[in-house]
Amino acid sequence: MKDMTKDILAGVAGRRRDGSGDPLGPNSEIGRKLKQYYDELVSDDVPDRFAQLLSQLEQAEPAQKKD
Amino acid sequence: MAAVSQGFKTDLLGAIPSLRAFAVSLAQNADKADDLVQETLVKAWDKHESFQPGTNIKAWLFTILRNEFYSQMRKRGREVQDSDGIMTARLAVHPAQHGQLDLKDFRGALEQLPEDQREAIILIGASGFSYEEAAEICGCAVGTIKSRVSRARTRLQEILKISGEDEYGPDAISAQVTGSPAH
Repeated sequence: MKDMTKDILAGVAGRRRDGSGDPLGPNSEIGRKLKQYYDELVSDDVPDRFAQLLSQLEQAEPAQKKD
Repeated sequence: MAAVSQGFKTDLLGAIPSLRAFAVSLAQNADKADDLVQETLVKAWDKHESFQPGTNIKAWLFTILRNEFYSQMRKRGREVQDSDGIMTARLAVHPAQHGQLDLKDFRGALEQLPEDQREAIILIGASGFSYEEAAEICGCAVGTIKSRVSRARTRLQEILKISGEDEYGPDAISAQVTGSPAH
């Protein structure tokens, strides 16, 4: 309960300090979860198939630079 | 056809993690998401000449991916969301306790949003685009993005039973804390 009060107070202070009231900012539970959800997806290992695909596209490219 | 520059290829490689995250957010399925990313890379490669150097390549790629997603969805008759996704969405969501919200519950709540609201809140709240950029990616007005984000946020709060975070002004919050009645 104490922690909750602290969080609320910190939230209010934060909102006042930056004055932006950003509805998806760090003081918003939804905003924080959204970033956590997305950051987890972004940090997922990229399968090799994508780098291979780009190499294939590069090799298949008909007009190589002639200069 | 002009040669694709090394810089362009490097930019594409660098954008893949973000493209995959956006694709999963849209398609709610990892395999379909990777197919979308693959299709996006091929399309981007084919039309690299239409990319204006110096402009935001991430926004350009997100636009291609989004168009691809909606065109596939139209072709498949809206069968994009698979049964796995629907199952997750049906799982019970417990009210947030002490502000600790489970990521799984959040994912389930996100899946319940209509696509237009989900993409808007992801672009603004997670991918780091401005309202103007998001409007360009979605081909709609800035005001439309703003209202979709706001509806998405309200809907997520309802699903997750988070009490309105700034429906309460600072006065209401301090009243809660001190226990004195709000006037």
